[in-house]
Amino acid sequence: MLFFSFFKTLTNQTVTIELKNDIRIRGTLKSVDQYLNIKLDDIEVLDLVKYPHLSSVKNMFIRGSVVRYVMLPRSEVDVGLLEDATRRGKLRIVFLI
Amino acid sequence: MADIEDSGPSGSEPLDLVRLSLDETVFVKLRGDRELKGRLHAYDSHCNLVLGDVEETIYVVEEDENEEEIVRVRDS
Amino acid sequence: MAWRWPEAATFPRTSPKMAFFGFDTTLPRDRDGSGPRGFFETPDPFAQVAQASALDDDAIDFEDTYDGLGDQLDDDQDEFNDDTFGGPGPESSGRDFDFFGKTAQVSDAIGEEQVRYSLQNPNAPRVAQPVAQPVQQPAPQVKRSGYEKYSEPGYIPDLQAKSSVWGVSQKKPEPTPTSRKMMSLEEVEAQMRHSSHAVPPAGDAFLRSMVEPQYHPQPQHLQAIPDGYPPVHPEFLQAQLRQGHLPQMAHPPPGMPELYGGPGIMPPGGPLHMAQNINAPPQNMPPPGPRPTGPQVQRPPQQPPQHQQLPPNRVSNNGMPVITDPQQLAHLTPEQRNAYLMEDAKRAKRNHKIFLLSRGNGLMTPQDKNFITRIQLQQLVAAAGSIADSDPEAVLAEDFYYQVCSQIRGAPRQHPHQPLGHFAQTYLLQTGNRLGGHRRGNFQSADNHMQRMQQQVQRAVEAAKAKPKNKQLIIEGSLGKIAFSNAKAPKPMLNIKRPDSADGPKPKKLQSNLSLSDRKSILTNVEHVYSALMAMEDMERTMPPPPEEGDAEAIQEHMEWRQKLHSLNQKLWRSLKVMEPIVPNSTTPHPFIAFLSYPKGKKAIPRIFRHIDQEQRVTILTMIVVHLDSLDVVRLAQPVPGEAQPSLGMREAIDLFSLAVMPCLLGYVNEAPFNIIIGLLGLVINQTHVQTVARTKVGLGILTMLLSRAEIVKEAGQASEHDWQQWVEKFNVLFDTLEPGLNDTFPGTISSGDDMYVWQFLAAVGIGASPEQQQRLVIAVKDRVMETVGYSKTLPADMGSQRLSNVNLFMRAIGLDVELLG
Repeated sequence: MLFFSFFKTLTNQTVTIELKNDIRIRGTLKSVDQYLNIKLDDIEVLDLVKYPHLSSVKNMFIRGSVVRYVMLPRSEVDVGLLEDATRRGKLRIVFLI
Repeated sequence: MADIEDSGPSGSEPLDLVRLSLDETVFVKLRGDRELKGRLHAYDSHCNLVLGDVEETIYVVEEDENEEEIVRVRDS
Repeated sequence: MAWRWPEAATFPRTSPKMAFFGFDTTLPRDRDGSGPRGFFETPDPFAQVAQASALDDDAIDFEDTYDGLGDQLDDDQDEFNDDTFGGPGPESSGRDFDFFGKTAQVSDAIGEEQVRYSLQNPNAPRVAQPVAQPVQQPAPQVKRSGYEKYSEPGYIPDLQAKSSVWGVSQKKPEPTPTSRKMMSLEEVEAQMRHSSHAVPPAGDAFLRSMVEPQYHPQPQHLQAIPDGYPPVHPEFLQAQLRQGHLPQMAHPPPGMPELYGGPGIMPPGGPLHMAQNINAPPQNMPPPGPRPTGPQVQRPPQQPPQHQQLPPNRVSNNGMPVITDPQQLAHLTPEQRNAYLMEDAKRAKRNHKIFLLSRGNGLMTPQDKNFITRIQLQQLVAAAGSIADSDPEAVLAEDFYYQVCSQIRGAPRQHPHQPLGHFAQTYLLQTGNRLGGHRRGNFQSADNHMQRMQQQVQRAVEAAKAKPKNKQLIIEGSLGKIAFSNAKAPKPMLNIKRPDSADGPKPKKLQSNLSLSDRKSILTNVEHVYSALMAMEDMERTMPPPPEEGDAEAIQEHMEWRQKLHSLNQKLWRSLKVMEPIVPNSTTPHPFIAFLSYPKGKKAIPRIFRHIDQEQRVTILTMIVVHLDSLDVVRLAQPVPGEAQPSLGMREAIDLFSLAVMPCLLGYVNEAPFNIIIGLLGLVINQTHVQTVARTKVGLGILTMLLSRAEIVKEAGQASEHDWQQWVEKFNVLFDTLEPGLNDTFPGTISSGDDMYVWQFLAAVGIGASPEQQQRLVIAVKDRVMETVGYSKTLPADMGSQRLSNVNLFMRAIGLDVELLG
């Protein structure tokens, strides 16, 4: 649940998503779910010349499994907290068993 | 509460080794002849990663079979 | 390419017009204007294809593709077909498959017998009830069910498919009037015996042969099942009966299907209906003779129907007479009857409960149950964590980043009662380095530490200025030259190189970078530290409220809590490896120093300092001071030749150290007793290469801390004469060591970088210095002073004044002022 938790804090931020088919889309992250499916608003396709069929798309739902990268604004990420959250995921198991 | 030292980061799970690299620069090989170099801030059991100061390298084989290296530097 | 049927295979085109979904797909020649037809009365759905393909030359002719297999068939060996598929004609198949007909033969008799029985036993309302209801549903209202024919003894269903079934204009056949011969019970039994050749117990055989448990005098008592229960398997009941068990607890064996659904599934009426609910009236039965209404009236209205079902061999356990026949009930006194009925009602209720509880009995083996239990437990553990986990804790564990992040950013939280204050404290105070320092909401500016250092030095300067030492210092204004009238230094311009300046410990061997295994073990230590830290932070959140006087339990709880915290502290301390022995001249750095060489090690220090006591803090400080020149931020801080400043990575490390570690050390030093300060300064001098240390920001920072603290202690009058003497001794050694290299302490040229920390250090030295040392100090750095003053004039006003004030801190420490420099 870490990444779900993490992406939830990034809602309404502008992110750039690169899909596994190399399409890159910039838009406002509207919502995310536990599968890391993503809803983007006000999107902008970065290499629109190559993908003209996307020129009229304004918002989209992206299945989490087709995403290669999500590029995030650094200022919106608390890396120290994020690292501890990662450790906690580990820690949890340690404490349970 | 379990003993942290006994079951801590040096434990036997593969991802325990990754934990040692938190907040360290890591080198990631991806499918599709891609490589990433960046600082590791988060990971999960699916090997989703959060990297900072990333440098991505994609190796592309050109027509003349010379290996060409395209480096794209990304901030994330 | 199309195919077409050979003419022989073409379906007869008897109704050429086809109205399919409103489209007239027939060809004009096929339209003959005949009236509407049924859906499937157009028997040639392929006609269109055939016609279309007739126009197509590419069509495949059947003869072209026919492989002739059909010609090989032996048409003359059909004699045994009848044996295999049954002979022609309906009679030859017999009636063996006609269960409906069989049932119908006896249905009348069953209904009749039921009525007769109810007449004989007016006190058995269960039987009376079915009879009573047909009164409300007289025969004329009976609707056609389609099963009427099946009740005719000789009926064989006509299975011919008729197009009229689908047709629109066919007239419904009139319902066949049913007239059957009434049979007595004896007749029925005789017939059954005759037809089934069953084993002696007639009821048993009857039940078996009829599949559905039918009404029968003996098994009737067994049907002690509330309405809606699935029928009871007769063998099951019989077996129970034979064993003398109470048959009322008659739940069906698992997996036994309900024989005939619920009432809604059945068509209304028909003899079958009896099987599914013995209490329901046989609705479609012809009313058998005069219908008594008496039993219904006599039926005690407050009793549920179940309790009339009496087990034949039941022995009452409270002295009641054994009632084997409902008729006996009539002979009882009203009290006895009431008591009996009451008890019976209770039993029925209990049985019903048991039935409900036991509905799924035997569906799962113990192994199955075990398996499911394990899965459930696993899920429970996974979902809730430890049992002690309160709900917010579980949510926090699952959603840690979001919850804490929201709190830090001041967003409304989903769980407002979560004790996140500690988290905010932990992570807000976490130092922002380049990686996280520019976030809004991070109040720890990069200059914070420098400002605190500045304040400390300023305090020392102010204290020292109260009694200036060298009023003799004269500034020769415009020329910028400084003349000293102090007789002690007649040739101040002469820079006397002290022979011992090169003395002191040799620079330690450059430690090789950590080997791979060292690196792994150090990183493992770091993660252990973080694990312990997080555990302690969690402990802090769960601190029990302070115990009240005399509340032994609360005190005990508090003690245990403190004990746990203490053991975690020990764990943390062991993981830090501070107490590992110092190996002189080792090529591998001390584990704690190696710990500090990692960014996450540096970042951990503020959190560690919150959880350790003063003794542990001074141990850490001592460790750092002893290894000052081994710290990565000192050892590697020198720019490589030709470069103005260290590498970007090193600058980051230095910033991080200044930001994360230095404030902690300063915080401790500010409260440390004087003897510790003296001891630390002695360690710097004796254990480290002072000149290397002094050329770094971190090294100078540590020295500045110690020097300014000593001055404050002295000015506050807290230093004993003996201590002060010791201090001065060490200070002199330090001064002499540093003096030749003072100019090298500045990073780069005047225009490059920030030299504030150097001026702070010089100020701290200046305060503690003797007048003679002050003069030497001025001589050593006067060029830099003049340069900076000049340079500040070329800068924008605010930056210029900043640089000037840096210099002035030093000048004021030695009783001067940049203003005097004109």
